[in-house]
Amino acid sequence: MTYAVLSAGLLGTGSEVRPLGEFYLVNSYFGDYSAKSPEVVTSILWDYRGVDTLFETAVFFLAIIGSLTVFRLTKEQEEEVKRPERPPTEMTSIVRDVTRVIVVMILAVSASIALHGHLTPGGGFQGGSALAVAPLLIIAAYSKYALEKSGFDKTRALILRSVGLLGIALVAVIPLLYGGYVMQNQPVFPAELGGQPLGGSLIYYNLFEFLAVGAGFTAVFLLLAIPEEKFKKLLGVDE
Amino acid sequence: MSLLFYMGAFLIVIGALCDFFGALGLLRFPNFYVRLHAATVGIIGGAAVPLFGVALLALGADFLPHRYAIAGASFVTGIVVLIVSPAGSHALAYAAHKAGLVEWEPEVDHLEGVEGDG
Repeated sequence: MTYAVLSAGLLGTGSEVRPLGEFYLVNSYFGDYSAKSPEVVTSILWDYRGVDTLFETAVFFLAIIGSLTVFRLTKEQEEEVKRPERPPTEMTSIVRDVTRVIVVMILAVSASIALHGHLTPGGGFQGGSALAVAPLLIIAAYSKYALEKSGFDKTRALILRSVGLLGIALVAVIPLLYGGYVMQNQPVFPAELGGQPLGGSLIYYNLFEFLAVGAGFTAVFLLLAIPEEKFKKLLGVDE
Repeated sequence: MSLLFYMGAFLIVIGALCDFFGALGLLRFPNFYVRLHAATVGIIGGAAVPLFGVALLALGADFLPHRYAIAGASFVTGIVVLIVSPAGSHALAYAAHKAGLVEWEPEVDHLEGVEGDG
């Protein structure tokens, strides 16, 4: 409560909160049917404009599907693409060691951005975009083959992305079982757990969006990292 | 207002100075490598140091809501910049040397053994 009052006081010194702002504050933090989320922006994104956000995610999903279609390969070609033609060039040991440290930090920071999305600015999409930087750095410093050898290939990324999308759909549909509406937040989902605010369904939406966006970007980066000469060979195109 | 507050403000002033000298060097230095040095002064001195300054300043400001969150975020960002930017400028300099794209007359060449591809 103090946070909302303080931020209102800091933003508009001496002026009242406008009626629309008051409506959103009451219905996202103060009221009985609110999600108790101090971050009103996330609350509005998923609660008041949830369908809008769902369609935004669908647009991102379609973009990924589009690039997968452009780069479609048969099973044998998929295996061929995973084999390096010559030993891949890696960056110097300084860059590789720094990357190793930074990747762990990026994973931690991106998880914190996504899982605190209902408390602080941020959220699933932002956290997922930050997460996707980690495999991108590995691809740049080591190689695409190093990432695939460690077990994170395109198929795994697509499975993770599908799990994320499925999770979003399930969280949206669950209120129907309790006699609520699609994407309804309160009072179906608990607003608090052990005194910690959860933001109702917000934390689940953010978690699954985090998975979907991070894994989706990673799949596209893996596709873009395939060397051009390899593609020319597969498609039978000569210079 | 405590000692931490003033120490943080002092670090931010140092950051502004480093940014100024980094910009000056970027404009006035003769070739790619020393310009890269000036840019790195602008990153470490002008971004990492002020971020640590902001962390101290937030810890020292008793009136600020959520000051520990601000201090922690600034500190983590400062550490990331501190680790990443030397590696980034190293990669740039190494790539430039390997590609042999920059004309220069070195007094001492420590990387003489490293052969460029073209």
